[in-house]
Formats: sequence, structure tokens, C-alpha cells
Amino acid sequence: MSDVSEKVLAVTVQELGPASKRFLERQTKYHMNGLEFDNLTKDHIPELAKWVGISAQLIVGEKKAALLAEMIKKIS
Amino acid sequence: MVQWYHSIITKLIIAFIILILVIAGLSVLYTFGATKEALKETTRDELVALASVIATQIDGDSLKALQPGDEESPTFLRIRDQLYAIESSSPEILYVYTMKQSNDGIAFVVDAEYGISEDAAGIGDIYETPTEEMKTGFQVPVAEHEYTTDQWGTVISGYAPVKNAAGEVTGIVGVDMSATRVIERQDFIGTIIYLIMLIGIGITAVIIGLISMTMIRDIRSLNDSAEKISTGDINVLVTVERNDEIGELANSFSRMVSSLKIMMMDDKP
Repeated sequence: MSDVSEKVLAVTVQELGPASKRFLERQTKYHMNGLEFDNLTKDHIPELAKWVGISAQLIVGEKKAALLAEMIKKIS
Repeated sequence: MVQWYHSIITKLIIAFIILILVIAGLSVLYTFGATKEALKETTRDELVALASVIATQIDGDSLKALQPGDEESPTFLRIRDQLYAIESSSPEILYVYTMKQSNDGIAFVVDAEYGISEDAAGIGDIYETPTEEMKTGFQVPVAEHEYTTDQWGTVISGYAPVKNAAGEVTGIVGVDMSATRVIERQDFIGTIIYLIMLIGIGITAVIIGLISMTMIRDIRSLNDSAEKISTGDINVLVTVERNDEIGELANSFSRMVSSLKIMMMDDKP
């Protein structure tokens, strides 16, 4: 797993719990041209943050989803 | 739904009220006791001061000369009027009188109410139950430590020696204050203290109630979410946001719910 992937996972676990990796894998697979989550790089962050912000709304609501997206955006 | 008597809010309020009752009760006991004693001490000081002032205004030689049967003499009437004027000047004073030592004990000389009240004492009437303080009054100004009860009622008294021109003690002046007035003062202070305690308990109960209600509301919200999930409804959002232990519980619960949702979702984006 790349360093960026680990950082993204660590942030997401705080909001979405132990199933976070499954959620993130789904986002990269379906919204980022089949990208493997483990191969995430810094360049993928803005796109991933956008999709996390959208998809996480169904799980944790708008406010928390926006907060999570912001936290992912800050990862460098 | 939890019964009200099992509710945390009820338990918290009861626990705090008991705590306040114990602390306030002990404080009230101490404060009330100390206040009562202080009030009595103040009354005694007032009586001693008053008796001392009156004693300086009475002619000790004239007092010594008065004998039984002199009740209509100008000297007697002058002293009586003088004492009656002082007695009438304050509602706090019940009786003012003078006494002197006789062969049979301590006897009245001039009673401020002689000729005005039927039960007033005449010259030479023996006071049947003299106290130690009354005897001490022939030497120095003093007041009774406790209330005394006689045919004129229950009073607290102060005494001061009356001296003649040569500086010899020829009698005492006695000032009585009704025990009822002193007890009324004590009861008033007691009532105020109890009222303050009751108001304090009321305000505390309201504050604890309000704080507890926000806690209970959030715990109920978490409980409702857990109940929905337990029946298969995962369409729940944990909206509790707090910075305390309940907030931590809510965050953990929210993560658990989120993971459950993720795992239960179809394998679709």
C-alpha cells in the first residue's frame, strides 16, 4: 500500500470505521477508472476527495461527508 | 421506554438534592445555632448598656431613702415617671424597675408601672427568686445568661448598680426584655435561612434537570439508532455531537454504523 493510501485510510477510518478500506476501494474502482486503492498517489487526492464527499453522504450525512472530504484534500 | 423512577435524570436529581440537603442542613444547623447565640449575646449587651445608662440617671440617695408607704411621695413619683418614660421609649423594653437589698432579700423600690399597671410591685415587695446575675448586679452591670420566668412572664434581664453621691451602691436598676421578642428575632432569621436553603435546592434541581435532560436526549437518540439497526433498518444517521463521554460513545457508534452500512450496501458505486 502506498504512503498516500495509508494516510487516506487512516483519516477515513476515523469517520467510517473498519470497513473504510472497502469503501475507498469501491470509490477508486468505480469512479477513478478502476484504480487500485493501494496504488493511490498524491495526484489522485482531489478526485478521490470529491467522490468520497458525494458517496459518504449516504452513510454519515452531508456535514460529516464534507468534513471527511476536506480532511482527505489536505493529505499531501 | 425506561420508567421515570429508573431514569438517570431522576437518579441524578435525587442524588444532588440529597447532597445539597446534607451540606445545607449541616450549614444551617451551625449557622442557626451561632446566629441564635450571637443574637442573645447582642441582646444581653444592649440590656447591660441600657441598665448602666438608666442607673446613672437615678439619684441613689433618694432611692435609699424610700421606704414602704412612700409610694405617693414626690421622690417616688419622680423616679417612677423617669423610669416609665424610659420604658415607654422603646417597644423592646418590657419592664424597668429598681431594687435594693433588705433584711429579707432583694426587694423592689420603684417599679416604672406602679399606679399604672395592677400587677406592678410596691416598695419593699420581696422578689422571691433572685438569680446570681441579679445579685451580681449590685456590684457590676450584668445580664442574665438565660431567660427567667416569674409572675410577670418570661424575660431576659439586665442589671446595673445605682450609686449615691458618695459612690456607694444603694440599689440596682433592672431592665427586662420580653423573651418573645428575642425568640421572634431568632425565628425570623431561622425562617430566612430555611427559605434560602429551599430556594437553593430548587435552583439546583432545575439546573441539574436541564443538564441531565440534554444528556438523556442524546442517549435516547443513540438508543433509537441502535434499535433501528437491530431490526435491520440501516438508514440511520448518528447526529449526536458532544465533547464528553457520551460524544465519544456517539462517535464510536457512528463508525460502527458506517461500517455496517458499507458492508450491507450492494456492491455498486
